[in-house]
Amino acid sequence: MTALAEYAAVPARRPLLARRHVTPALLLLPCLAWIAFFFLVPLGLMCWRSFAASGYSLHDYAALFTSPLYAKVMLTTLKAASLATALALLLAYPVAYVLTMSSGLRRGLILVFVFIPYWVDIIVRSFSWLIMLGDHGLVNKALINLGIVRAPLELLYNTFSVLIAMVQILLPLTIVILFGAMLRIDRTLVAAAKIHGASGWQAFRTVFFPLSLPGVYGAGLLVFVLSLGFYVTPALLGSPRQTMIAQTIMVEASDLLDWGQASAAGFVLLVITTTIAAIYNRYFSLDRLWGGSEP
Amino acid sequence: MSAALSRVALGTAVTAILLYLIFPVIVVLAISFSSGNFLNFPPPGLSLRWYRAIAGDPEWVSAFLVTLKVGSLAALLASILGVPAAFALVRHVIPAKALLSALILCALVTPPIVTAISTYLFFVPLGLNNSLVGLACAHAVSGMPFVVINTGASLRSADRNLERAAIIHGAPPLWAIVRITLPIIAPGIIIGAILAFVHSAHELLIAIFVLGGVGKPVAVKIWSGVQATSDPTIAAASAILIGLAILTLASVTAAQWLARRRSR
Repeated sequence: MTALAEYAAVPARRPLLARRHVTPALLLLPCLAWIAFFFLVPLGLMCWRSFAASGYSLHDYAALFTSPLYAKVMLTTLKAASLATALALLLAYPVAYVLTMSSGLRRGLILVFVFIPYWVDIIVRSFSWLIMLGDHGLVNKALINLGIVRAPLELLYNTFSVLIAMVQILLPLTIVILFGAMLRIDRTLVAAAKIHGASGWQAFRTVFFPLSLPGVYGAGLLVFVLSLGFYVTPALLGSPRQTMIAQTIMVEASDLLDWGQASAAGFVLLVITTTIAAIYNRYFSLDRLWGGSEP
Repeated sequence: MSAALSRVALGTAVTAILLYLIFPVIVVLAISFSSGNFLNFPPPGLSLRWYRAIAGDPEWVSAFLVTLKVGSLAALLASILGVPAAFALVRHVIPAKALLSALILCALVTPPIVTAISTYLFFVPLGLNNSLVGLACAHAVSGMPFVVINTGASLRSADRNLERAAIIHGAPPLWAIVRITLPIIAPGIIIGAILAFVHSAHELLIAIFVLGGVGKPVAVKIWSGVQATSDPTIAAASAILIGLAILTLASVTAAQWLARRRSR
């Protein structure tokens, strides 16, 4: 097919070469213009605002990096995001593994369980944990009835309640990414290891697991970026004394109306997430979605 | 023996994880049918009173209408802009393709609070705050990746020779795309559009800033309800959203099944 196209291109190479770029440019232009106008220009405006609000100075950034409040908020955010990412990977791995190894009805059934929560609002899912983990909630009732504890445990408004809801929210995506990565592993390699005398566990540990690690790293980066921006879950289930960065930005903007400070904090968060996303793109290139760089 | 044991252990672990995934959904569904006044699980009895409460409350009805309007417009915009982009990315050799696809997808990894405050700041001089169209325009940006990815996937698996055959038989190339290729990839476009709609319906932070005052969409109404009240109305509203989600999921599956049958 490519040969045919080249043959056709020979007589009038110049104009055809030019035209080759005109069509895709026209096709992409509306989409890119829309993203530029409704996404990039606003982000640029936010960046400008972070300097302009304090009379074109770095005042708002200085406040960001010197105040103990922001140090604490950043620390809380990084802690929650890393823990949530680690737990999501840990729980997603066995599910993705079983999905990879199964087929037909069982795979379909597991996928239904994975996808239904994915289609349910994050607010609703966080809210559900609010009901379950309360003093008279399901979990405490069960613990008391089973005689494990005498008085209800304080399960809400702490790191535990935030993590349990965050991980539940992040799991479907983590499972889907890991599943996709595991499907690309050549399973004849595992079979070869077994033929040569490896036990099932040995074959998994020395062949399958190392081959699945790139997928784990990729999923980890993506899930970590997403968990940095969580707002609803920590606002609903977290301790008011341990807020995450998105909550702080929200308070700056909507309650204190300090748009300079909010913009500065937003810009720093944007730089962090974009950097991690760029690393992800460098190693797990996004254009694989369209069949890679080849035509 | 130990192989069988590890299989059982793995099966138990996976079952437990799947229950952990699905349990919050079941709890909200059950409470929405509660006959009691409080958010208790298991509910004391079953009734439809909280659904009736929503249907009889003009504020909730208008919230659902707002979500429907904003979501449909956002999905429509995302499709109109995203489908041509998918054609360009799948079928053409483009310089800096990786950068362009990153640009299209980056709205998905940008923290929502950052998008929300920047959109609000941008909409103030444009007068687009408090406007449904403004919110839909912003939601179209994050809806586009869903359309581009799903259309791209359909386009890659579609047989291009059918389109070539039409052109050889005298159809103008654009007409061949409209009459032959678009119907083949339609399920992919529809799935992308549905996902864009669901994304818009769930989006909270941009919606709070742009439509937080008057004409709240469902997500904002649920969010203010969740923080203030403690009766099962919110559970019922959430359950309606879950019902819509499952309905769309079913239609997506049907669309996929249709696509598979057509490609045979």
